[in-house]
Amino acid sequence: MELLKQTLWVLWKDLLLELRRRESILAMFFFGTLLLFVFHFAFEIPAEKAAEMAPGLLWLAFLFTGTLGLTQLFQAERENHCLDALLLSPMDRASLYLAKVFFNLFLMLLIELVVFPLFWVLFNLAFWNLLPSLFLVAFLGTIGFCVLGTLFSAVTLKARARELLLPLILFPLMIPVILATVRGMEIILRTGKFTEAFSWLRLLIGFDVIFFTVGFLIFEWVIEA
Amino acid sequence: MAGTMQKRGRGRRVTGILALAFILVGLYFALIEAPPDAYQGDVQRIMYVHIPSILTAYLSFFIVFIGSCLFLWKREKRDDILARSAAEIGVLFTSLTIIEGSIWGKPTWGVWWTWDARLTLTAILLLIFVGYLMLRSLIEDENRGAVCSAVVGVIGFLDIPLIHMSVYWWRTLHQPPSILRPDKLPWENVHPSMLIALAVNFAAFILLYFYLLSLRFRVGEMEEEVKTLKLYGGAS
Amino acid sequence: MSAWGFVFLAYGIVWFALLIYLGNLKRRFRKVERELSSLRSSGGLKKNA
Repeated sequence: MELLKQTLWVLWKDLLLELRRRESILAMFFFGTLLLFVFHFAFEIPAEKAAEMAPGLLWLAFLFTGTLGLTQLFQAERENHCLDALLLSPMDRASLYLAKVFFNLFLMLLIELVVFPLFWVLFNLAFWNLLPSLFLVAFLGTIGFCVLGTLFSAVTLKARARELLLPLILFPLMIPVILATVRGMEIILRTGKFTEAFSWLRLLIGFDVIFFTVGFLIFEWVIEA
Repeated sequence: MAGTMQKRGRGRRVTGILALAFILVGLYFALIEAPPDAYQGDVQRIMYVHIPSILTAYLSFFIVFIGSCLFLWKREKRDDILARSAAEIGVLFTSLTIIEGSIWGKPTWGVWWTWDARLTLTAILLLIFVGYLMLRSLIEDENRGAVCSAVVGVIGFLDIPLIHMSVYWWRTLHQPPSILRPDKLPWENVHPSMLIALAVNFAAFILLYFYLLSLRFRVGEMEEEVKTLKLYGGAS
Repeated sequence: MSAWGFVFLAYGIVWFALLIYLGNLKRRFRKVERELSSLRSSGGLKKNA
């Protein structure tokens, strides 16, 4: 399919750029780790409370790190009128959206893969066997974040105070994802199983599907404005 | 064209006068005629403005959604002005809802704020409205600002049911032990004049809302016309 | 504060805020109307709105 081809092209370009310069990934990684350190100083977490608080703190760290990635997302396109060139080409706008979503998702997943175990080590947590299930929930949440975040990264592209405006608009709309992810992870840590968390997971999947579709349809108008 | 404007202006004036009438009657019923609640006492009277406020806030959000959708589809300036006006008035009514809810909460629950579902949802609604307006003001290009805030308007509205669900689940699964259930209105033995008070105040708010919206819309239209005239110096 | 105190506080804030906003709107309306008519007359436009 043409759309898929174009998406892969742009994605490949972004991945290659990132591989060579490693700007975003390193910055995001260090920022995420730094946040963990700050959380450790800011919050006294007794052992019994660790399971309760871990999901929230982790997800907070991912949110802020992810936002950092989002502000960088269209950076390459902003330089040298790249975006105008892309828009002049007959490329399907939606493929740009898809490529950016996948790119940001890729970055965030890489970071989560590292930060999750790091968090576990730094905060002396047990339940290592639950990490895969936790990661699955985080994965679904990250999709939601990337889907909406990419759209709003484009929306705030030419706005002043962009770094402040993006979270201001994005975070209230992300509340279902934040709640569902954190509660889901908490339930898994408490009970060790998925069963009670199903309604939250369904909400997450619903959110992902709805806003992936909406973003896919609307992106064209946003980027051409 | 002049005829339509005049008809609109007249309709607006009629709405305004009706609103005033309903407001006055509503005040009478709310403060004098309706009896104090069996459980909450006189404090319950705040509900006669609180419930209409919250409904008006949601109505406003719906109009922002409609305006945004129409604008994204047809790109007519009019729809953008409608959305913008509804957002502005929506911020007003949403803020009032939160303030009323907080004032009601102090004697009822003993605290000025609690993270119960209703208050939390209203606060989130306010945040989305504010985001909409801030985006507008921070984007310099008029047209881009309109398109981008329309996107926020559409997505915000679509998100509301999901936000609703998640917040309600969160609150019902994590009920703090000592607090009573704040999202149930403890109205037993509803006296008829209480219902009348609520109905009249509800009508009053809706009428007032549409009066304000129509006025704000007209102001927006005229400001647009001024801009066009200044820009093109007489050619319309 | 008594119950009625809270009630009057709430009602007071609500109607005060609404009145202020209405006043603000009316002022804006008059200002724009003035601007519009001055622009139209100075531009020599014969068009009605």
